[in-house]
Amino acid sequence: MNFDNYNLDPAIYDEMFLPDGAPREYCRPLHEELTRLSVAELGSIQERVTRSFSNEGITFTVYGDEEAEERIIPIDCIPRVMSGADWRQLEAGLAQRIKALNLFLDDVYGESRIVHDGVIPEEVVRGCPQYRPEMRGFAPPHGAWVAVCGTDLIRTNDGFRVLEDNLRVPSGVSYMLANRKAAKSSLRRLYRGSRVREVEDYGRALLDTLRELAPGGRAEPSIALLTPGVYNSAFYEHMFLAHELGAELVEGRDLLVSNGFVYMRTTAGRRRVDVIYRRVDDDFIDPLVFRPDSLLGVPGLIEVCKRGNVTLVNAPGTGVADDKSVYAYVPDMVRYYMAEEPLLANVETYLCRRPEDLEYTLDNLPDLVVKQVGGSGGYGMLIGPHATPEEREKYAKEVRADPSNFISQPTLALSRSPCLIEGRFEPRHVDLRPFVLHGQETRIVPGALCRVALRRGSLVVNSSQGGGGKDFWVLED
Amino acid sequence: MLARSAQGLYWMGRYLERAQRLCVLLGLQAEALVDRPVREIYFGWSRIYDSVNRHPPGDSLELFDNDEFILADSYTLADDLTFERANPDSVWSCFALGRENARQMRHCISAEMWTRLNLAYLRIQKLDMETIWRTSPESFYAETAAEIDTFAGVAASTMYRDDGWQFMQLGCFIERAQLLASLLLAQLSADTPVGDTAVQEDSDAEWASLLRACHAFEAYHRRYGVEVQPGQALDLLVTDRLLPNSLGRAIDMAATELAAIGSAPDTRSGEAAQRLAGRMGDLVHYDWPDRAAPEDREACLQQLSDYCRELHNLVTAAYFDYPVDHLS
Repeated sequence: MNFDNYNLDPAIYDEMFLPDGAPREYCRPLHEELTRLSVAELGSIQERVTRSFSNEGITFTVYGDEEAEERIIPIDCIPRVMSGADWRQLEAGLAQRIKALNLFLDDVYGESRIVHDGVIPEEVVRGCPQYRPEMRGFAPPHGAWVAVCGTDLIRTNDGFRVLEDNLRVPSGVSYMLANRKAAKSSLRRLYRGSRVREVEDYGRALLDTLRELAPGGRAEPSIALLTPGVYNSAFYEHMFLAHELGAELVEGRDLLVSNGFVYMRTTAGRRRVDVIYRRVDDDFIDPLVFRPDSLLGVPGLIEVCKRGNVTLVNAPGTGVADDKSVYAYVPDMVRYYMAEEPLLANVETYLCRRPEDLEYTLDNLPDLVVKQVGGSGGYGMLIGPHATPEEREKYAKEVRADPSNFISQPTLALSRSPCLIEGRFEPRHVDLRPFVLHGQETRIVPGALCRVALRRGSLVVNSSQGGGGKDFWVLED
Repeated sequence: MLARSAQGLYWMGRYLERAQRLCVLLGLQAEALVDRPVREIYFGWSRIYDSVNRHPPGDSLELFDNDEFILADSYTLADDLTFERANPDSVWSCFALGRENARQMRHCISAEMWTRLNLAYLRIQKLDMETIWRTSPESFYAETAAEIDTFAGVAASTMYRDDGWQFMQLGCFIERAQLLASLLLAQLSADTPVGDTAVQEDSDAEWASLLRACHAFEAYHRRYGVEVQPGQALDLLVTDRLLPNSLGRAIDMAATELAAIGSAPDTRSGEAAQRLAGRMGDLVHYDWPDRAAPEDREACLQQLSDYCRELHNLVTAAYFDYPVDHLS
C-alpha cells in the first residue's frame, strides 16, 4: 500500500515524514514494511489487533443512561516511532520535572517558601480546590508525594511541550502494554528487525517503586491496589496492575483501620497493609477527612497515612500541583528549586484570573483553547477554531462569570502520525503519555501511551470522546 | 486471600456449574421435543424449573395434548430458561454472572481461563432464541455445556492450587449437590402415583433421561444392566463414589475442599461448616435408606437439600461476611 494520497502538511509535525515527504531516517524500516504490505494484509492485521482486544476483554467502561457498558479502545495497528536521541531528551526533561513537582509539594505543604518568595501567588495555591490543608506538615517516604505520574506531551515543529502533568491517579499504562503485545504479534518481522526498547518491565519497576516507599523501609511490605470498583472506567487497568504486582485488588469495603494501622479482610482474618497504590481520588478516599458521603473510601485512612503507618501512592493532596493554573508555574518551580533551566517547555498559558490575560483570552477566543482549571478528560473545554460563534459567545459568558476557573492556551498543531483509516493511510493528531515512577530513584520505562484523535481533523485524543491508541516504539541507538 | 476475591471465585464456580447443568437439561429437553410423549415433555419442563427452585412464566404449566401448543409453550419456556435477562436462573444470566465474577477476579485466575470464558461469552452474546430454535437448539446447548467443560479443564491444567482454586471448587460442588438434590426430589414427587402402567413407563424413561443428564447412563449400564429401575438409578445418583456427578461425590469433594481451606476467621461457623459437610457425607454413604422405604429416601433428600443451603450460609458467614469483631 502506498502513501501517494497521504495528506502531508508541512505546518504540522509528522511523526513519520520530513516536510519534503521523505520518511525520517529512523522510520524507514516501518515505511518500507507498510508499503510492502497489501491493503488486504494491512486490513487483516488491523482486524486481528482489534479482535485480540475484544477476546481478551481489554475494555474501558462507558457510563450510559442505563447500565455501564464495556467497550474496547479503538487501536490503530501502525506504531508511532521515536528515535533514541529524542527519547533521551524527553526522559531527562521528565525526570527533572517530577523532581521539581515533588519539591513543590513538599514545600507548599511545609514552609511554603515558594509563596513567601513571591514566585507563585498564594491565592493560586491556596485557592486551588485540590489543595488539601489536612496534609500540611506531612512528609512521605523519600519526599515522594507523586510516585506515579503520567505526563501528557505533544510535539510541534518547535519541539516537545508538556500539555499537563497527571499527578493524582493517572491511567493508561495497561493500554501501553496491551498495545505493545498486539503490535508485537501482528508486525513480528518488523518488530524483530527494529531494535525497539522493551516496556514489559513496567510492572517490575512499579513494584520496586512501591516497595521503596514502604513505611519505615519495611522489607517485603504487603501491597494492595485500591480501586473504586468494577464500574470505574479504568477497572481493567486496576485488575491488570494488581496482577502484575502480585498485589490484592481491594475496594474500600475490604479495608479497615484499627489501632493506627490499615488491615484488609482475608479468608484467614485480617492482614496488615503497608503500601496502598490507590486509584481512588482524594475526595473519596476517607469520609472522615474529605467527602463524608463517600462509600468508596476507608474511614481513618488519612490519619494512618499521616502517622506513617501506611503509604498512600500517590499521596493525598498532589492535585494542587497538576491544577491548570499551577501548571503555568512549573518552569518557575524548576528554576526555583533546582536552579536549572527547564528541559521541557510548557504550552504558553493565560490565567484568566489575571485581568490582562482575561482580556487577551476574550479578544482571541477563535484562536485559543480554553479549559476549566479543574477539568479533565477533554470535557468542559472550548476549542476556539472549531467552535461556532454562538458556542464561543456562550463560553465567553461562563469565563466572565468566574475568570479564575479558566485558563487559555494557543491552539497548537499537535503532531500527526499515519493511521490506517478505511483502507488508506491518513494522518491523525497524536499525543504521548509516558509514565514516570519516583521512589528512592526515578524510573521511566522507554514507552508511552500514544493516544490518537481518530476523527478527521479532531484534536481531542480522549478515549471517552472518540480517541484511540497506537503502539509507541522507542528505538535503541 | 482477600475475602471478597474468594467470594467472587466461589460464586463464579456456582454460576458456571448452574449454567452447565441447565444446558445439559435443556439439551435433553430439546431432544425430547422431537419424539417424546406430551406428558414427558411437560414433566421435563417442570423438572428443570424445580431444579432451580423457580416457577415457570405464568406460575404453572398447563398440559395441552396438542403438538402446536407444546411447541409454542416449549419455545417460551426455553427462551425463559436460556436467554431471558430478567430470569436470574437462565443460562444467559448464570453464564454472564459467572463471567462477571471472573472479570472482577481476573487477577486471581489464569489468563487462559479468562480468555476461554470471554470467548464463549462473546459467542453467546450474539445469539437469541429465534436463531437457535430455527437451526438446532440441541447443538447450542451442547456447545455451551462443552465450553464450560473446557473452561473447567483449562482451569484444572492452568490454575494455581491456592485457596482461590479451593473456593471456586467449593462453589461448584455445593451448587452441584444442591441442584442434584432438587432434581431428584422433583423426579420422586412425580413418581408418586403407582399402578398406572403408562405412567410407570413414562417414569422409567424420565429416570433414563435423568441418568443421561448426570452423565450416568453408561455407569448405570455397567453396574445394573440395561433396564432402568428408578430405585437403582436413585442409588447410583446419590451414593456412587466413582460417579463424577453423584450427590455423594459432590458432597465428598466439597468436604475435601473445606478441609483444605482450613480454619476460618469466624471459627464457630467454620467448624460448623466442616461438621455439616461430614454429616452430609454420613447421610449419603451410611444412613441412606434402602429401596423398601421410598418415603424415607425422599425425606433424606429433602434433608440434604436443606443442608446444602445451610452449608452455603455457613461458608459465607465463616469466610466472607464475618463480622469485624471476629478479626484476630
